[in-house]
Amino acid sequence: MAAERILEVQGLGKRFGGLVALDGVSFHVDKGSIFSVIGPNGAGKTTLFSCLVGSQRPTTGSILFKGRELAGLRNDQVVELGLVRTHQIVRPFRDMTVADNVAVGSLFGSRHRRGADARVRVAAVLERAGLAARAGALARTLSIGDLKRLEIARALATEPDVLCLDEVMGGLNPSEIEGAMQLIRDIRASGVTVLMIEHHVHAVLGVSDRVLVLNFGKTIAEGPPQAALRDPAVVAAYLGDEAGGAAA
Amino acid sequence: MKGARAWMAVLAATLLLAPLLAERGTLNDLWNVAFAVVLASAWNLLGGFAGQISLGYSAFVGIGAYTTVLLADAGWNPWLTLPVAAALAVLFSVVVGLPTFRLRGPYFSIATIGVGEAVRVIASGMEFTGGSSGLRMPSADFHFLSNYYGMAVLALLTVGVMAYVRGQAFGLALSAIRQDIDAAEALGIPSTRYKLLAHALSAALVGTAGGLFAMNFQYISPGSVFDFRLSLSIVLMPIVGGIGTLVGPVLGAVLFSYLQIKLLASPTLRDSYLFIYGGLLMLVMLFEPHGMVGLWERLVQLGRRAGRPVAGAPRGG
Amino acid sequence: MERLASVLLSSVLSAGLYATMAYGLAVIYGVMRIINLAHAGLMMLAAYVTLALNTRFGLDPFLSLLVVAPLFFCFGVLLDLTLIRRLPQGGNAPSMQSLLLLFGLWLVLQNLAYVVWGGDTQAILTPYTMSSVPLLGERYGVPLLLVFGVSVLSLLGLNFMLRRSFLGRAIRAVTQNRDAALLSGVNAARISAVAFGLGTAFAAIAGTMLSTLYAFTPDFGRSFLLKAFCIIVLGGLESFTGVAIGALVLALIENLMAAYTSIPTSFQDAISFSLLVLVLVVAPTGLPALFRSFSRRAVAR
Repeated sequence: MAAERILEVQGLGKRFGGLVALDGVSFHVDKGSIFSVIGPNGAGKTTLFSCLVGSQRPTTGSILFKGRELAGLRNDQVVELGLVRTHQIVRPFRDMTVADNVAVGSLFGSRHRRGADARVRVAAVLERAGLAARAGALARTLSIGDLKRLEIARALATEPDVLCLDEVMGGLNPSEIEGAMQLIRDIRASGVTVLMIEHHVHAVLGVSDRVLVLNFGKTIAEGPPQAALRDPAVVAAYLGDEAGGAAA
Repeated sequence: MKGARAWMAVLAATLLLAPLLAERGTLNDLWNVAFAVVLASAWNLLGGFAGQISLGYSAFVGIGAYTTVLLADAGWNPWLTLPVAAALAVLFSVVVGLPTFRLRGPYFSIATIGVGEAVRVIASGMEFTGGSSGLRMPSADFHFLSNYYGMAVLALLTVGVMAYVRGQAFGLALSAIRQDIDAAEALGIPSTRYKLLAHALSAALVGTAGGLFAMNFQYISPGSVFDFRLSLSIVLMPIVGGIGTLVGPVLGAVLFSYLQIKLLASPTLRDSYLFIYGGLLMLVMLFEPHGMVGLWERLVQLGRRAGRPVAGAPRGG
Repeated sequence: MERLASVLLSSVLSAGLYATMAYGLAVIYGVMRIINLAHAGLMMLAAYVTLALNTRFGLDPFLSLLVVAPLFFCFGVLLDLTLIRRLPQGGNAPSMQSLLLLFGLWLVLQNLAYVVWGGDTQAILTPYTMSSVPLLGERYGVPLLLVFGVSVLSLLGLNFMLRRSFLGRAIRAVTQNRDAALLSGVNAARISAVAFGLGTAFAAIAGTMLSTLYAFTPDFGRSFLLKAFCIIVLGGLESFTGVAIGALVLALIENLMAAYTSIPTSFQDAISFSLLVLVLVVAPTGLPALFRSFSRRAVAR
């Protein structure tokens, strides 16, 4: 039985003035899978996420999510439909408690906000993200590892069908990375499709079902991780990146 | 929070019981305090809770005041004009908010100066506002005491609404928008809708206060109700008192009303009110961005630290 | 046709003053990411200083620029050292705190002028205030022409300074790419002080010139502040030419409105203010950026 496609992106393009950040990117994500987007700095990965969730408006292309067109919708509308993102540089509400941070996602992003008691759902999410002990602390007092968890917890609280993680492992130490990978596997096991950006290729190898490789806004490879990484274009892009220093 | 509740009880008791004890002069001063509390607290909903600093709030006072005078002139009972005053202020808040809420931070503030000035210039040039010479309420029997109670109840209602909003999802959304609007949107908050709502709610309260203002003073002109200086004090009161807090705008309103009474009484002080306003604003920005409330909290913390035994004292929370 | 020519000429003449006025705001914003709300107060104060120099020493307002501009440059540097430096620095977005601090300064300056010179309307009269010369079938006041000349001279002088001197180049570098310039070792504190001094000096030059054209009170300058802000938003902040273009666009709109529509002059300012709001909303990154990316629909959200 063929897997259901939860997200289908066709010819997505984004220009900033003369700069082409995304150039006709197409891919699809199967429901319940873990899909990774990799590529050197400036490849357009974060712009791709911004266009998916509607915080930036794509210049061309279409984004079908559960059969619905997302292009042109506002970020909050996309979240309500069940597609949510985290930010590479964490953006907590620093003057709110950890629980209130999560409550924002639960109260505004979730379709079930009028159903079960919000406080119960917040507690459950905090438990799942390993933040229960810090529920009452102000977000400004958290360590970077906890802030990354909070960033994920808030997004989870919106009860998404697809969770877009933007470099959640950046800046973490090896044991924290192991914890984050476990959290991502748990999230998938709970039925949420995961779309993740990683700068470091090897971090995603173990967990991803499929990989999309971007460079200068273009798709250079797409497929199962091992195959995609052996693609000559990918090898060239990464070697070129290392040899020529950070591109853009 | 408990402290805030006690403060509010004092405010309520003072405003509601004063007519039994005080004479007309004091009541006039208290009317001014109540008026200032409405303006400062209502502004704080948008400026403090949601972090959108508007420098054009006199427009809502003016719209409310003119609505009341013009409708009263057409034979309406002044009290019945108040809902219309509020509704027109709300309408204007949406008309202004739709374009300007796309702007962020200081850009929004600058745009609101532009809107406020445009409204004042247009109002001064229009026929129906009486131009720069202003308009008078139709002479009817006017009861100061009922107007006083009207303003006092409106002030308490405003503070009550703010306290209520703060505990609701709406208040949480505004706080999220103030702290990081992108993150707020990324978690599903329709930021423009909530900013418009906050703007509208505060405009309704300020517009109603404008109507009561017109009833009380019987005479209005663009120079009195659309004035930039009015916008200015509306901003200064909550900022000096403590932006984003419940008690702050009330403290600021009391302080500014007191200053105003002192200023009117002394010619030398009257000539230096801008020194006082500007100086206070600069002091707050340089030394205590949370105003009087922030200062108070600092003092409390200092006191606590001083009161503790030095050896083995944990850091004060 | 002749009417159009005179409208164009008037626009160019007022654009010179507008550009000078706007440049003071732009240089401070460009380097420090601060919106100087005290700009209006500084223009007003310069007008009064010019008046004092004129009545006390009989100094011609245009000659007094030689005193006023350096004086206000020092005043600006002093303001930066004593006030602005105390605020938390950094960030690429302008902070509310600096906006409100300078707002407070504006009020204090207004009161200062009120205490020293009183609240009456003042004007500076020179032998040539009332004289005019014919150009393209219309008569133009001599002060207006002088103002244009001085504006062009001071802007050219500034441009020269920004291109040739080390400090000038550092200012341009920080304006164009703040992070890169600061990372490459530009002395941020020194550049900020100079930029605030320059901005203040240009506010003062504009104020002195305004004082030869208009009567003023301590409340003077608010509408000009809004116009200056409108200009830098129109022109974009990156370049000198941008400011000039913004000034010309605003002047053209105003003059065309006055010449070809029946909108009463008392509403003229309302138009500028509404234009400001419109420009902010439609093209928050300025007209140049709007032209460059004609296809781009997303307004910076």
